[in-house]
Amino acid sequence: MKKVFAILLAALMLLSVVGCAEKTPSTPAATKAPDKPAEQGKVFNIYAWNEEFKGFFEKYYTIPEGVTVNWIINPSDNGVYQQKLDEALRNQDKASADEKIDLFLAEADYIGKYVNSNYTMDVTSFGFQNAPTQYEYTIKAASDDNGVCKGVSFQCCPAAVIYRKSIAMDILGTDDPVEVQAAMDNWEKFDALAAKAKEKGYYMTASFAETFRAFSNNCTKPWVDADNNLQFDPQITAWMDQTENYIKNGYTLTAGIWDTEKTNEMFKAGKTFCFFGPAWYYNFCMNNAMDPENGCVGDWRIVKGPQAYFWGGTWLLAATGSDNTDMLKEIFETFTVNEDVCSKLVSEQNQFPNNTKVVEKFAQDSSYGNTAILDGQNDIAIFAELAKDIKWENHTNYDQLLNEGLQNKLQEFYNGSVDKETAMKNFYNYVKETYANINVPEA
Amino acid sequence: MKKHANGSGRLPDRQLKSVSYAKWGYFFIIPFFVVYICFTLVPQFLTIYNSFFENYRDGLNEIGPNYVGLDNYETLFTADSSGTIRILKYTSNTMVMWFIGALPQFVIAMLLAIFFTSARLNIKGQGFFKTVIYMPNLIMAAAFSMLFFTLFSRVGPIQALLVEKGWIDASFDFFSHRITVRGMIAMMNFLMWFGNTTIVLMAGIMGIDQSLFESATLDGANAWQVFFRVTLPLLMPIFVYCLITAMIGGIQMFDVPQVLTKGNGAPNETTRTLVMYLNGYLANKNYGMAGAISVIIFIVTGALGGVVYRMLSAQYKDSSRQRRQRKGDVI
Repeated sequence: MKKVFAILLAALMLLSVVGCAEKTPSTPAATKAPDKPAEQGKVFNIYAWNEEFKGFFEKYYTIPEGVTVNWIINPSDNGVYQQKLDEALRNQDKASADEKIDLFLAEADYIGKYVNSNYTMDVTSFGFQNAPTQYEYTIKAASDDNGVCKGVSFQCCPAAVIYRKSIAMDILGTDDPVEVQAAMDNWEKFDALAAKAKEKGYYMTASFAETFRAFSNNCTKPWVDADNNLQFDPQITAWMDQTENYIKNGYTLTAGIWDTEKTNEMFKAGKTFCFFGPAWYYNFCMNNAMDPENGCVGDWRIVKGPQAYFWGGTWLLAATGSDNTDMLKEIFETFTVNEDVCSKLVSEQNQFPNNTKVVEKFAQDSSYGNTAILDGQNDIAIFAELAKDIKWENHTNYDQLLNEGLQNKLQEFYNGSVDKETAMKNFYNYVKETYANINVPEA
Repeated sequence: MKKHANGSGRLPDRQLKSVSYAKWGYFFIIPFFVVYICFTLVPQFLTIYNSFFENYRDGLNEIGPNYVGLDNYETLFTADSSGTIRILKYTSNTMVMWFIGALPQFVIAMLLAIFFTSARLNIKGQGFFKTVIYMPNLIMAAAFSMLFFTLFSRVGPIQALLVEKGWIDASFDFFSHRITVRGMIAMMNFLMWFGNTTIVLMAGIMGIDQSLFESATLDGANAWQVFFRVTLPLLMPIFVYCLITAMIGGIQMFDVPQVLTKGNGAPNETTRTLVMYLNGYLANKNYGMAGAISVIIFIVTGALGGVVYRMLSAQYKDSSRQRRQRKGDVI
């Protein structure tokens, strides 16, 4: 009896092992992709790093009947999103039609890596034409070195200074945007104003990295030169000098740009005068300001600030191998040429859309104002002026992790735990570790 | 059963001889070995193999694999501009943080295990206490770490409380001091693991024959003597097991410091562990360098495990030999 039982058990175990083994080879059978190009897939996969675009997509795009949309969302921090995306793209050939990525989102800091690869496809291959109403730089950013465009952006990201009206009143005796702008229209004036703010017990900015983008997106040379040597643009060093000075004088906080300590400064009780950001900043970063109890909606105004710049931007890129090309075309059109949707992006979401015609309409419209946070000030008019000057140049594929790494390592210098030399050494080590092919000055 | 135990020599029973359960035993452990070989042993050798190659990604392009011999190891042991050999720094970080967490972990676990098993104390509601002390282990380390981050952050409740009490300055930052960050990490590891250790040690103590404790007490041994002369020597095998597994876990410390310091190992990389270093290289799929670090971690783990095992089990053997000798004297 025991023997029979033992044999039975052993057989069961063996079976389970064999069973597992059998299952594996059966999957490739399902991977046969349909060869007919006309046939559209039933599953649409989108890779993203947050829910921002998902919200707009679900609201303004009507998904064709019978199609399921899958969102695969991984955080952007420490390059996690890129790692997951890269793995999926490299397996794109092997994936079954329903598992292939159809669309993925990319940020300004690393879009070049994807548009210059074969993992993205020419938008004209599925019949999409870039419209003249799209901002030039958004097309250039989504194009490879030969000018073949691989995707579109649903936004344009000129950035400005968003300041607290009540604090301006206290420091300058006026909260009028024209006069505030006059008081900070270059960095010297901005620094002088910071000293004034300090005297009155305010911080000029709430994060040591607050002004980073205003400098870094005005660089005249990329992070690495043609021989892959790391190089510091004068703008980056100018930011480092400014920040060192600000920290020393207590004009800013040692918090990182996404830290709670910084965003808490947007509450009504906050003591910070200026925040730097584009239109997406309202919805994405200023929730505390819009808090019904502790917020201060309406106490905000926007001005150009000391230096015109842009920050970020999300591009939608078409993944090679997608079997939902009709849908790709529709989505691209919805968020660029569809004036109705672009108008709603402004009026309902306070975004700055990638459509010059819609932008002009709002900029000229004296009755339009941002009521969500700016108490009726027409921010589109200000952004529209700034958007004209945006140029897409001096970007590398390494920007995200280099910008992030520099800020992280220098933060330790600013909060006093290491000296500057050590912080820089740690940064060089970090670069060497993250990108084996970049030559760093001394590591 | 009894017949069997009496020995088959006396009763030549053919049927009994032919049934060997041993082979079924081997049969049953096959699945484990198959899985182990496929998912642990082969990757282990592949890791060693990979460590001799230059192999990473530049964007979406793969560079290599190119055979580079021991170059990756050489890079690991090359000092940077300030003369620091980083892998040594991270090794010592790891060991220090493990040690300051493990010391209270073992002391307290041992104490609790003795209290709980003591017939004299006879603590009521043991099930409850055991569950509670084990509880922190059920939380995901990353979530636990996130919790500590929130508690001790510049805008967290602990900071606010201590500032209000006037014990620390408002500008104090828990995350910019080596001692506080390391302390937090050690504290978390301690909280997560002391319950587990307690339960294992309790099982060990309960496996010791109660009559030994009784006779020691009857002979007039005090609590210390019972502990050092009876409990500890007999508990040694379990204790060594606990210590070595804890140490292996310690060398692989990753999620707690990674999440707490957002991967930076702040301040000044003094809380960066070996596996965080390895993870840094994996950002760009640098299999060569990551492989080399893995091999180093493997060697360090093996060496330390061996040393601890030899040291403690030698002691254990000594003490049991002494006991035997003493017994011989009496006879």
